[in-house]
Amino acid sequence: MDVIANQLFAGLSMASIMLMIALGLAIIYGAMGVINLAHGEFVMLGAYATWALQTYAGLGILPALPLVFVAVGAVGWVIEKVVVQNLYHRPLDTILATWGIGIILQQAVRLGVGAESRFVKGPELLSGNTEIGPLIMSNYRLFVIFFSIAVLWGSWLLMTRTEFGMKLRAIIQNRSISECYGIESKRVYSITFAYGAGLAGIAGALITPLFSTIPTMGTGLVVDAFLVVIVGGLGSLIGAATASVLIGEATALFSMIMNDTLGRIAVLAGIILLIRFRPRGLFPTETRR
Amino acid sequence: MTSRFHYDLVALVIFTVVIVFGVPALMNYDGFELNTFARYLALAIVSMALALSWGTAGLLNLGQAATFGMGSYAMAMHLKLRASNGLPDFMGWNNVPELPLIWMPFESLAFTLLAGLLIPAFVGGLIAIFMFRARIAGVFVAIITLAFLVAFQLLVIDQQGLTGGQNGLTGLAQLSLPGWTVDPYSMGFYYLVAGCLAVALAVGVYLTHSKFGLVLRAIREDADRTRFFGYNVATYQTAVFCISAALAGWAGMLYTMVLEFASPTYMGVSFSLAIVIWCAVGGRESVIAAAFGAIIVNMLEGRLSDVFVEGWHLMLGVIFVLVVMFMPRGIYGLLSELAAKLRRAGRQGNAASIDPSSKTQLETGQEQ
Amino acid sequence: MQQLQVTDLHVEFGGLRAVDGLSFAVEEGEILCLLGPNGAGKSTTLDLICGKTQPTGGSIRLNGTEISQMLEFRRARLGIGRKFQVPSVYRDLTVAENLSVARSRRPGLWSALTRFSLSDVRETEGILERVDLSSKREELAGNLSHGETQWLEIAMLIAQDSRLILMDEPTAGMTIQETEKTAEIFRSLSDSHTLIVVEHDMSFVRTVADRIIVMNRGAMLAEGSIEEIETNEDVKTAYLGH
Repeated sequence: MDVIANQLFAGLSMASIMLMIALGLAIIYGAMGVINLAHGEFVMLGAYATWALQTYAGLGILPALPLVFVAVGAVGWVIEKVVVQNLYHRPLDTILATWGIGIILQQAVRLGVGAESRFVKGPELLSGNTEIGPLIMSNYRLFVIFFSIAVLWGSWLLMTRTEFGMKLRAIIQNRSISECYGIESKRVYSITFAYGAGLAGIAGALITPLFSTIPTMGTGLVVDAFLVVIVGGLGSLIGAATASVLIGEATALFSMIMNDTLGRIAVLAGIILLIRFRPRGLFPTETRR
Repeated sequence: MTSRFHYDLVALVIFTVVIVFGVPALMNYDGFELNTFARYLALAIVSMALALSWGTAGLLNLGQAATFGMGSYAMAMHLKLRASNGLPDFMGWNNVPELPLIWMPFESLAFTLLAGLLIPAFVGGLIAIFMFRARIAGVFVAIITLAFLVAFQLLVIDQQGLTGGQNGLTGLAQLSLPGWTVDPYSMGFYYLVAGCLAVALAVGVYLTHSKFGLVLRAIREDADRTRFFGYNVATYQTAVFCISAALAGWAGMLYTMVLEFASPTYMGVSFSLAIVIWCAVGGRESVIAAAFGAIIVNMLEGRLSDVFVEGWHLMLGVIFVLVVMFMPRGIYGLLSELAAKLRRAGRQGNAASIDPSSKTQLETGQEQ
Repeated sequence: MQQLQVTDLHVEFGGLRAVDGLSFAVEEGEILCLLGPNGAGKSTTLDLICGKTQPTGGSIRLNGTEISQMLEFRRARLGIGRKFQVPSVYRDLTVAENLSVARSRRPGLWSALTRFSLSDVRETEGILERVDLSSKREELAGNLSHGETQWLEIAMLIAQDSRLILMDEPTAGMTIQETEKTAEIFRSLSDSHTLIVVEHDMSFVRTVADRIIVMNRGAMLAEGSIEEIETNEDVKTAYLGH
């Protein structure tokens, strides 16, 4: 039992990280139908920004979060303006272009910072463990779980309770009519993309104590996050949350039964089956068509 | 017979003459240089294979590297057995007591050659039936094939005793055909690869201009409409996936012979996306252009990565983004626009005549 | 002889009964026109016959064979052709290529692999002339005007040579002359084909229809010749509303 409980916690921790990464991806896809393969690199940029702030400015992870959010969001904003905005009518091409951007970011970091892995210290405040009976939970991982729930909640509020969210949903429903009513869709798209990128940056900052920070760290993450988005139902925030918990827990349990690799393969196979039979995901929403 | 078919035939002949006669002369028949170029030619086959499924049928297969890898490993298993006395060395290190069952038939050259074509075709076909029966299309094809690729690469790396794991299969023998031991640094080997590419391209050109290719283009534009004309869309899509996978497997076999090893790196996401780049740069509508794209990008890589050791990948990324944004039809698109302009200039007097291609570029440029 | 027999056909979309207990039969070689107000279920009926939509109940028999559960391409192979309301041609293919795709006598994989792309077009030379598109055979379908696109799709259906052709508003966007020419073509088609036509243009219906079915709220309201329909009280009520 102890093993299973701890494994379930590990799965939940993994799910919270995937959720943080997938949220931005889901928002960007849901809003503009863009599959952003550079998303993993946004995570990577967030991680490096955190590392730089800690190394050169002595800032801890937590105070760095808002700065990282703004910095990576700004990068996303520029990329949206320069590249993505010109490709909205060619969805398959956005996959290719954002992937090319991913290569550029990755190589730029490799050239600028170096390929060796960087380490970031976690916050002192959250260094211990919380033990409930046999269940040992790292405080930092607990924090990440709660933080990801908070971000999910915040994003949901932003989408449903603010004027910006209303404009965005109007554009998703019908872009040209929304423009007739004076909504500047280009501006809304830019901000949405920047917001999604900023979330990825925060995710990158939060995973620095758990993963080693290397230029290629984004590549593996984006595939997983992507699958979370698809399984959840494109553009659905609740779907993304459910899917990340399902995938996180399934991976943790399969890994215990088999080994890490085979567990991951089994989960991938399950995801492929799920996409086959429910191509619109667990929580299909009305997306653009 | 259409004029496009004539252009493609002329292009095919020129291309074949250049790679068979021109390139060796340019390289002064130097074995090392030719080996490098043979590598590009093998990659050109996998690029043109992608053009068949992506350019013609609109199915973006991000798992092309998996079928390429299957061909590559099939050949490597045969050559490894030829190089070993009894059990291959890495199996000993992994405590594999005796030769696993699935390795045994690879003793036979004929089996290996067939397996290198048919196993990828079979696996590609299975995935295709699985997807296309359910009418999965567009982005989802890209995702499912990508997920399959990731799973397959993990599996290959995980099964160390069977596959050599992360190290791949190294220490291979040279392929011995009846009366000919194929030295990858020889002229003969270069001609073998160039010949394979020429044959693959001829097959590709024929397919794109057959009714099969036409129906695939119709499916790419409007799959539903095509069903109402009585075509079983899933069958056509599955067929093009199988053919494309077999060609990729063929390329993989040649690639193993060029490099003299097989590695799971060539089943990775990056490699698969690199194939997409070559195809896009050359032009996915034409198999010849896609092959050319693979050669040109790899040549650039070969030259530039010596000069800018670190910066090369950065430049590749920039080139790719620029191509996607401003040259969505690749080099092929540029050339056919140019040809259309020349044709228009050539018949100024005949203003009433129709020029289908001029508007084509603008429109297909915005497709997909 | 009855070619198509529709019995008690139902389909629901999220609680809305688009077609509700519809039954009718079509004789071989006749031109049947479907009339009715917007939302009466005319296009949906065509969708159900050609397989674009699956019925929730009822049966559709073509020459005695039950087809209501068949996939679209099988129904097409049994001889059902469909023209859509929004002209559906392949915009990135040339006119000749569009016709070659439509000419699907041998839709199998093997025959497609062993023939050139335009090998089937020669059999259909006359069709392009009939619809005045022979000068545009190398033109991309996307460059045609709206009227020409309509013609192209009609030409594709003639090339497909289905025994039962379903036409959804074939004259939409056509000039009077073009409409007349369409009527002429339809009359000549009915020698060897059966047509079911959804149409709003009453003068066109008068010229071509052998028989008319008026639909309302997914069911049949009236059936008969043009005179019978024009004097039918129920029909007036349905159109004018009370």
